[in-house]
Order: sequence, then C-alpha cells, then structure tokens
Amino acid sequence: MEVVSEVTPTCGARDDVWIPSTCGLCYGTCSILAHRVDEVLIKLEGNPDSAVGKGRLCGKGVSGLMTHYDPNRVRVPLRRTNPVKGIGIDPGWKEISWDEALDEVAERLRKLRAEDPRKLFIQRTTTVTSSRTPMQVFAGAFGTPNRSSAGGGLHCGNGAHLISGIMHASWSVVPDFQYCNYAVYFGASKGHGAGHASCSNMGMAADARARGMKMVVVDPMCNFAAAKATEWVPLRVGTDAALALAMCNVMVNELGIFDAPYLRAKTNAAYLIGPDKLYMRDVASGKPLVWDSSVNEARAYDAAKPDDMALEGDFTVNGVSCRPAFQLLKTHLARFTPEWAEPITTIPAKDIRRLGTEFGHEARVGSTIVIEGVTVPYRPVAAIAFRGSQGHMNSVYNFLAVDLLNQLVGSADMAGGCLGFNPASHGHPETGRPRYIPKPGPDGLMVTGSWMAHHVPYPIREPRLPEELGMQDLFVLCQTSPFSDSADREEMWKKFELPYRPEILLNYGTNLLMSIANRETVAKSLTQFKFIVSFDLFLTESSEFADIVLPDCDYLESVDSRPNFPFIFSLPGGMGEWCWPIKQPTVKPEGEQRRSSEVLIELADRIGMREDLNAAYNAILKLEGPFRLQSDRKYSYEEVCDAELKTNFGAERGLEWFKNNGLIKWPKKPEEVYWRHFVDVRVPIYWEFLPQLGEKIAALAEPRGLKIPRHYYEPLPDWIPCPAHDDPGSDRDLFAFYYRDIIHTNSFTMENPWLDEAARLDPFSYTIAMNAETGRRKGIEDGDEVWIESRAGRRVKGIVHLTEAVHPEGLGIAACAGHWGDGMPIAKGKGVFFNDLLELDFDHVSPVNLNLDLCVKVKVTRAKGARR
Amino acid sequence: MSVTSGRYEQLIQDLRAEVRPQREWIERQGLLLIVGHFLSGVAAGTWLFSLVFHFPAGLAVAYAIAALSAAAHLGFLGRPARFWKMWHARSSWIARGFVGLTLFLGGGVLYLIPIFLSASPWQSGSLIAQAGYFLALAGMILLLFYKGFVYSSSKGVPFWTSPILPALYLAYALRGGVAALLVICSFNGINLDSSALGLLELWIGISAAVMILFYLGVMSGSSPIEQYSVRELLRGRAAVSFYVGTLLVGLGVPIGIGLTGLGAPLSLGAVALVGLASVIGDFFVKYSIAKAGIYRSLTSSPHWRDKSAAVAGVPPLSVKP
Amino acid sequence: MRWGMAIDLKRCIGCYGCQLSCKAEHGTPPGVFFARVLKQEEGRYPTVRQLFLPVLCFHCDDPPCVDVCPTEASFKWPDGVVDIDAEKCVGCRACMMACPYTQRYYHDEEQFYFPGNGPTPYERARSQRHEAGVVMKCNFCRDRVRAGKQPACVANCPAIARYFGDLDDPTSEVSRLIKDRGGYTLHPELGTGPAVYYLPP
Repeated sequence: MEVVSEVTPTCGARDDVWIPSTCGLCYGTCSILAHRVDEVLIKLEGNPDSAVGKGRLCGKGVSGLMTHYDPNRVRVPLRRTNPVKGIGIDPGWKEISWDEALDEVAERLRKLRAEDPRKLFIQRTTTVTSSRTPMQVFAGAFGTPNRSSAGGGLHCGNGAHLISGIMHASWSVVPDFQYCNYAVYFGASKGHGAGHASCSNMGMAADARARGMKMVVVDPMCNFAAAKATEWVPLRVGTDAALALAMCNVMVNELGIFDAPYLRAKTNAAYLIGPDKLYMRDVASGKPLVWDSSVNEARAYDAAKPDDMALEGDFTVNGVSCRPAFQLLKTHLARFTPEWAEPITTIPAKDIRRLGTEFGHEARVGSTIVIEGVTVPYRPVAAIAFRGSQGHMNSVYNFLAVDLLNQLVGSADMAGGCLGFNPASHGHPETGRPRYIPKPGPDGLMVTGSWMAHHVPYPIREPRLPEELGMQDLFVLCQTSPFSDSADREEMWKKFELPYRPEILLNYGTNLLMSIANRETVAKSLTQFKFIVSFDLFLTESSEFADIVLPDCDYLESVDSRPNFPFIFSLPGGMGEWCWPIKQPTVKPEGEQRRSSEVLIELADRIGMREDLNAAYNAILKLEGPFRLQSDRKYSYEEVCDAELKTNFGAERGLEWFKNNGLIKWPKKPEEVYWRHFVDVRVPIYWEFLPQLGEKIAALAEPRGLKIPRHYYEPLPDWIPCPAHDDPGSDRDLFAFYYRDIIHTNSFTMENPWLDEAARLDPFSYTIAMNAETGRRKGIEDGDEVWIESRAGRRVKGIVHLTEAVHPEGLGIAACAGHWGDGMPIAKGKGVFFNDLLELDFDHVSPVNLNLDLCVKVKVTRAKGARR
Repeated sequence: MSVTSGRYEQLIQDLRAEVRPQREWIERQGLLLIVGHFLSGVAAGTWLFSLVFHFPAGLAVAYAIAALSAAAHLGFLGRPARFWKMWHARSSWIARGFVGLTLFLGGGVLYLIPIFLSASPWQSGSLIAQAGYFLALAGMILLLFYKGFVYSSSKGVPFWTSPILPALYLAYALRGGVAALLVICSFNGINLDSSALGLLELWIGISAAVMILFYLGVMSGSSPIEQYSVRELLRGRAAVSFYVGTLLVGLGVPIGIGLTGLGAPLSLGAVALVGLASVIGDFFVKYSIAKAGIYRSLTSSPHWRDKSAAVAGVPPLSVKP
Repeated sequence: MRWGMAIDLKRCIGCYGCQLSCKAEHGTPPGVFFARVLKQEEGRYPTVRQLFLPVLCFHCDDPPCVDVCPTEASFKWPDGVVDIDAEKCVGCRACMMACPYTQRYYHDEEQFYFPGNGPTPYERARSQRHEAGVVMKCNFCRDRVRAGKQPACVANCPAIARYFGDLDDPTSEVSRLIKDRGGYTLHPELGTGPAVYYLPP
C-alpha cells in the first residue's frame, strides 16, 4: 500500500489548496484535484495518483466549475403555489425555509409510512453515483421496494447489466485492453466516450490501438468508437443478434473453432438437456447431469471431471433421450448462416464470414500467457456490447448472442478477452476488505460477488403477483421497470391486483420527463402522485411537477466514502491497481443548499425511523465491529462515511485520513483480474431457466389477460425483429436511434455553457445525422429543419446534418437533448428530443427484461420555412 | 453584454462551418478600417495629382481626406489612446502605413500652412515648407503603396495573398486621386485640363478593370478557398457590392462616360459624375475584396487529408469548400 | 531550445478534452478557443472515416502573425513560443488575417458565459484578467510550462495523444515520435515552420 497525494499545504495565510475528490459530471466518477484559491474554485484537474481517470479528465470533467457556479442553480427550498400540474404550467414557486420544507415532507412521509410504506416511490439519477447509498438506505429503512433510476435501467441496464451480471459477474464488460488483439464492439463505445471508467478506458483503448489491437465496430453510425475502428461495420439498427449468431455459426459449424475445455469447465455446455428443454437431473441430488465419457454414463456435473464431459452427441439417460447443451447450441446455430443474416443486417455475407473467421482465429484457443508469474489462458479477442445493441425488445438475445462469441472461444474474463469490470477482489492486503468473489449457486451457475441493483441477477427470483409497482417481482429479470411511468401502468396494476398505488415521489435529480420516453406519458404519471418532493441542482422540466424542491449540494460540496465502489461499476478493468477514492467537499455552498445525504438523515429522524436507518446503513455498507452504527444515535453522513472507511481500511484510516490522502490503492493480482480461471463457477450458454421462467410468469399473467410471448423465453438466443422492423408504413422508411454524445451526460450537461458551446460547434451533437445519399433522395439538404414522425404520430423537430457516416436507413440523434424549460436557460432549445418518439408500454419493452425498444421507424419531412 | 449577442451567434456559426469568412475587417467597426483604407488611398492620389496640376484646393482636400482616414483608423481601433501605442510601430506594412500617414499629416501641414495662411511664420519655398513638401511626398508614396501589401501579406486569407493586389490598390488610389480632383473641379467650376484628366481616368479605369479580371481569373484557378472567395464575390455575400459598386458604378459609368468623352468634351456635370462614380468604385473594390475574404481552412490542408485518408483506407475526396 | 508538440491522431478520439481543459485553464471568453477539435469525414458510405483534428496555435518558426504586427505585440520568445503582449496590442487584427491557421481570436468586449448574470466567481477569478479589445491565442500554457508542468491540453488528454517537448533536442520524446512516426505539419507549403506536428492515424 502506498500513501498518495497529500493535500498541498497552505502557503502563508492565503487559501491555496489542491483538494483530492471525485468528479460528478457523469457516472464515470474519475478522481479529481480541485484547486481552491481564496475560497473560490479555479480549476479542476485529474488526480494523477488515482487509477480512476489516471490524472486525466474528459471534456465534461474539466468543465465542472461551469456547472458548479451556474447562477441558475436552485439555492433555496421552494414550494409550489399552483396546485395545477402539467407541462409548461408555472408552479408558482415560493421560497420557504428548510424547516418548513422538512416539516412538511417529514409529516407526509410519516403518515404514508404508517399507512403503507410501499406507496413511496424513490427515483434517482444515474449521473450522481453518490446518491445511490443514501437513497438505497433510506428506501430500505422506510420499507419501500419501489426504487428506480429514471431512464437509466430502461435504456441500458436491463439487458447489459443483467447479462453482464449473469455471464461476467459484473455491471458491464470491456475488452482486456492490455492484451486484447481483436475487439468487436456491438453498439458500445468503451474507451471512446462516456460511461464506466470512461477516462481510464480512453487511455487504455488508445494504448491498445497503438499496440495494434484491431477494433471492429458494429454500429449504424460511424462516430466515437467507429471513428477509431480498424473496420466500421454499419448495420441496420437493432439487428446485432443476427450478425453475432452468424459469426458464432461460422466459428462453430464452418470452422469448428471453440474452446472445449473452457466450455466443459466454465459453462453449462456439457449439461444434458432433455426433450422438455430442461436439464436432466440426478434423481438423488437434483443436480444437472453431464455425460461422463470416461465411464459412459451420466453423472452430476460436479461428480465428473470436466475433461471427461461430452459436449456433443445423443445420449439416453433413464430411457430419456438427451443431448449436451452445446450440441443443442451447435445445431441451433446452424440455421444462422451469413447468407441468412445478410438481408437482415444489410452486412454482406462474405464480410460476416470473414468477421467470424477472424474472431475465431485471433482467439488462439488453447494458448496461455504468463502474467506476473501466473499462467492464465490467453484469448486475445473480445466481443462487447452495451446500450446500443441491447436497447431493443430483443434485448436479451441481442446481448447474449454477442457474449456467446466470448463464451465459445473461452475469452470470458481470460487474458486478452472480454472482461467484466473487476468481478473478484481479495481486498486490501492489510484488511482483506473489500473481498468478494463470484461463487457457484444453484446448478453450479455463477452468483456475482458484488452487485448494484435490487437483487442479484442469478439465482432468478420466483415470479409472484407484483407487490412492487414496477412489477420487477413478476418480471424478475428486469432491473428497472417502465411501469412506474408507462401509459398502461394503471391497466397493469389492475390486472395484477397491485394492492396499493404510489402516492409520494421522492425524486433525486432525475429529469424523467426527458430521460424515459415521450413526455406526455411520463407527465401523466407524474400528475397522479399526490405529492412530489425533488432534490435538485436546477429546476428541470420534471421539477415543475414537484410540490417541494430541495436545493441539493453538488459534487464539489458533498461527501461520499465510496464514489467508486462497487468496483464492478467504474473502476477500470484489467491489470493495474485497486483504487478507493473518496469525494469530499471542496467549498461551501453559496446559497442555502444542503447535502441530500444529510437531509435524508434529518428526514428519517423527523419521520421517526432513525433506528431503521442506522440498521440499513449497517447492512448495506457492511459495517462491522466497533464501526457499526448504534441504533439510537443520530449520525451525520460524514460519520457514516468515516465508519465505512474504518471498517474497510482500519481504524487509522477514517474520513480524515482520506480527506488528506484522497484515496487508497493497492496492486491487482492476476488471480483477481483473471479470476475465472481460478474460481470454480460456470455460466449458462444455455439458459435453461428461461423457458421455465416464461411459463411461471405466463401462469400468473395469462389468466389475467396479458399474453407472454414465449419465443422470447427460449434457452438459446434467436433473432427477433424489433417493432420498428415490422412497421409496415411505406412512408416511414428510416430507423431513428439515439446515441450517447461524448460531451454530454444524459440531459444534464447541456446547461453547462462550455459543453453547450462545444456541442454547438460539433457537427453532430445537436443535429440529426442522415445519410447524405438518403438526404439527396428525399430532397433534404444539410442544415434543413425537419419533422421526424413515428407511427403513433409523435413528432420531434431538428436540424439535419447530412453525412456519409451513417447507415442509409438510420437516423442518428444524440440523446436526451431538447430542453424546453426555463430552469436551465443555457440548455433550453438545444438539440433534438429523441425520447419524445418513444412509446412507453408493455408492447414496446422486452417481455423478458422490460428494456425499452429504442429504435423507431419514422417519416422525415421538411419543416416549413426550413433552411438554416 | 451577453453571450447571446448576434456577434457571438455569428462566430459560433462561422466556427462550425468548413469555410469561415473574415468579418473583423468588414463588419461593425471593421467597416471603418475599409473606409480608412479607402480614404488614405484617395488622399494620396489627390495629393499627387494636385501637385502635378498645381492645384492648392486639391491639396487641402487631400489633407482633409487623410485626416478623416486617420480618424476612421482610430475609430476602428476603438480607443484613441491606441494612437500612442502605434508609436511602437516598426516593421510591418501596417506600420509603414502608419508612418506614411504620420509623415503625410505632419509634412502636409507644414507645406500647406504658408499656402493658405498669409500670416504663417514661414513662407512657401522656405526650408520648413520644403521639408514639409518632401515629408508629405514620402508619406504619400507610402500611402499609395502600403495598403495592397497589408492585404497581400495576410496569409490567413488566401484570396488576398496575390501580388496583383498591391498593383490594383495602387491603381485605384491613383484613380481615386484623379476622380477626387474631377469632383472638386466640377463643384468649383474650375476647368483644369479636364479632358487630360478624363483621359487619365479612363486609362486607369480600364487598367483597373483589366487587373480585376486578371485577379479573379487567377484566383478562380487557385485553391478551393480562393475559388470560394471568387464565388462570394460573384454570387455570394459580396456580389451586390461587387456588381453594383465596383463594376457598374465604379467601372461601367466612368468608362462609359469616358468613352463618349473621347469624341466631344464632357460637361462639368459629366466630369463630376465620372469622378463621383470612380470614387465610389474605389471604395467598393476594397469593400468587396475585403468582404470576400475567407480564412484558410485547416481541414483542407492537403497533407493532412491525404495522409489521414490513406491510413483510413478511403480514397480522398476532392475538397468541398 | 524550441518548444513543440506532437499530436497522435491514432490515439485522439475527438473527446474535446483539450478544447475544454484549455478553457478551464485560461478561462477564455465565450467564442475564444486556444485549442479546438475539428471533425471531418473522408470517403463515401460505407468506406468512410470520421477524422478528428485537434488544433491550437502552431507556434511557427517564421510566424506570419509576428511579421504583420505593427506594434510588436505579437512576438516570439527565444524558446520558439509565439505570444501576444496584450499591453502592446492595438487590436488591429492584422495578425488574424495573417495567421494561416485561424488560431487567433479577437476579444472585442468583456463577456461572460451566463447571459445577464455577470461573471461567476470562477470567471471573476480566472477570466477577468483577459483584456478586451485585443487579440488572444494559445501560448503553450507559458505559466504552466515555466512552473515545470505540461500545457493543460497535454497534461489532461485522456487518450494520451499529445506530447510536448524540445524540438531542437533530437532525443526528446516529441522529436523521436515525429521522426519515427513521420510527423507532419499543416499547410507546409506556406513555409511557416509550425512547431505542432501530427502523427498519422
């Protein structure tokens, strides 16, 4: 362990310090140094001592002070005087005191809790990771299961996080930049944009490209990652699974390339599957059977040596004919020929065949490498996916098909392969904390060692009649649910006899009117809350629906003991260092803003749930020994942070130590990074639990009139078209999709005038990217203002940028822009409000994980007047 | 002032675009610079021909025009105090222009006072007046020449970096001088050798027309940015001032009247019209050329595009300006 | 001794980190960019590439801007850095017309980023030192370099695509990269001798 980055001592009487802390402009949470002179912050830089960002920041991070010092920030608590709520309706804000605000909120919450705590719905933004713990703890203590992250999970999380969790024990996946030679990106920009470990990844990806890593980027648009790719593979929006399955087929059936030892030891490929699609099970133990070729009989998977397990063949066990899962997969894949995929994806068959061949050959199945004296399998290929490819109704299959590429060649969490972000940690050498390692669960399949959301992705929960308003307890594979806001939520709740209705919304910084789907639907759901209290930095379009707005401190005024923990979220993957930084206040707020973490503690106290709150902190932060919170004492959030740090790093390393040192770090071991080779767990290449799950959900849903389409619940991934692909409208001929801009975070950063200025100068940030030839065909010129209209008649307006760098059928729009409110005047009117095109109901989400379908078939027409 | 000002919005639009017009020397206070340039040329030309034709009123008018030019320049710089900073002026064409204007104004006053003030402490022909004469003459020569070089040394605006411009601007300064004399004469009813002047005017006018055509011809065969500037001049933002101001009024009218004047002596009114039109044309040639100035584009650097394109494995596109 | 820079276009991902870290370092007024990222596409669908070109003052060996400055406000330090002495600048903007790389900005009047709100505390501390009515541009972060740091855009570049050092020293990292990778300058035909080189993508 080493001690790093002492706070620069004050020279003379003048206040002049560099304070180590953590960025809050996106969920990448890079480590920063804040330069304060005479009580004014004058510069933010990356903290070179930290592994998170490695001393460098993205454009957003360096611009943080323009957000911090924005005169449009909310500075005092506000109460609405106009009882009528709606889009564009002036709430008639009146400034009130904190006491008045807290009294009212606490009183309402106290009553609600006594009545039914589930009636509280808590929603928080994904931008501010530090809000996770206090909100989770508050919800736990209050007793409501109803938490959400606005658009966060619906747009990326339900597919990407679920499957990364089940297959990689992590929140997301990334190529092992240090060793990977061939990476295929499916709708992901890791290392070339925002998001998890964004700045660290930018440097590591650049190193990899400079080293010669080939990068194939499958994306309807050539920006960010695709711009740096060795090869850009444009495809029809949402057809990623077809390409990935065809590549798998080329490898397995045309070339015979797969990593048999890996498949036997690390997956359920050898598990015998009966005609009912289910595992053949050992009668006594109930464990799945494999065919042990050394004795020519079926044995429980943990009774046979992996080398002896049959992957192929037909067998009969107890008179039932069965086959290994791999055999089924192999047969299943055979139908996905490159020629089949070509008309679906628009990618020429010869290219698909070549990509599959290159991936298979570059995998070097069977090779090993010695890293820091430790021998591990060397599979320098990775297929990664993120928001783009999984943002469809076929979310699960799309993502799973991509990950199959890794699983087939054994590159999952092996050197050079597709890594989860830090799925295993042995802890700090002195304390052994935080320690977590994936472990085998039911049927030998992997349970994550660390997780972020409500419930671990595996084992799968038993579906039940919903008690959660998002019905995550019915659709158990979803992380975030549309039904807190959807057009059909009341209908769903009625159908499923939800025993209560939400009454109070506790909102933390989300602008859900912009971040989920069309605003009309979301607004309607907001008006149905009896009371909304919103912690905000700015008055957003959504805070206009609040009854009370509480001015929050921003990241430069707040404290957090774990801005970068869990490590599966935003600590860079691969070899390097474990790094645990903190966030600490660098200046005092200029107005009456208070830290939401402290306000929640105060509210809990006023509600009379102090004991529950402390218990929840003890449980969620895993506080131990002398550092556990006593139930009857009121703690400040700084004290809670102090307790967590001491629990993990020893009594001498509390909050004060961290405030001086900024962070603690220690080296990663190959056994941690390439944990999969060392840990006896398996992942499912055959999702045996899925058909069963489908039946269980259907058993609850179908008697109540909700059809569950079973073809989404097959154990092996398939290609299913999106609603947009099946839209018959002849004048709707383009697929609108959105992407995350490199200089913007959700809907938040358009208010930052430096970022806004940069976005205005960018050819794409605030425009609609249309293929130049398509434009010519339609008589649309660069700079034309157009209407984009969906089948449902929803329309958004924007300026066209004609480009060669987008698929002829695609229409690329940077996400979450188009503010219309006055609370963020810099952001107002900038960019295109893509989300307004999205329908929000059961028919437009994955029936498995409830991920929203984010592509829309649209008609484009020139707006009147129209030329810029 | 706020960032939503029109100028800021314009700048953002310009920075977005692949071709960015120069606006600093044409819009807002920038217009004063063009006026200053125009006036200093007319002043020098008028002074020259007033000397040639021994026409004291013309000298006085030239001096007044030069003073106006100085005022316009200071107006462009925004603060009078900057005049004093200009004393740092050394080795650039602008510095030469400043020196020229200073010599001209300083020398001119020494030379003119005894001509117009009988109570002058020194007399015409005295050493002081002689010194003034030569200082003003030196200033005049600098003023005639410097402007074209100011433009032609502007490497950021390819349209201007032509050796034709100094010659063109010299020609226009001379013509402006003749034209000013014609105007003064006709207004005062003085009959200088107007046919000689008219002939001179015609000759310079035709030369200027030839030079402009030659200039545009060369430019339209140059790089895409120059071509774009030519397009600005012929079809774009500078087209109206070019066609109406430079060509029709500035060249068409004087040459047309001048040609009819070859047969019969021109009336005073016609002479005045020739002069006025020429002076207006003199202004608009500078205005149009300044307005058509487009900055050199970075992404059009052939080197960068070729190398990048080669590595990216795509055939380089021809530059679309 | 001649300060210079190499920008590796293979590593650059067009993230605007340079453009914005430069803003943060210098508090430049709205519309003034000492560093920028330009985007350009090359080719036709589907063989098309988006190219990123980060630009800044190229600190020419033979700077046209210095040649045309009437007051010697634009000048070259002995270490090759081209700088502007705001005290001497009269705002004639001849240097803007002379710079072949459009890297000079005229700061016409004091302005701040939040309309109608005056300067933020940050802008008060960082931006108000910029005189109005003068031309501004990059000076290779002279204060930082003197203090032994790298220019802000170099120190911050998340893709580690920028290198800064002595072009006169053949053993310096920049010199070696330029030699090994075939570094080139923009508009070399103008003979300005830029000190900023690009390493091919």
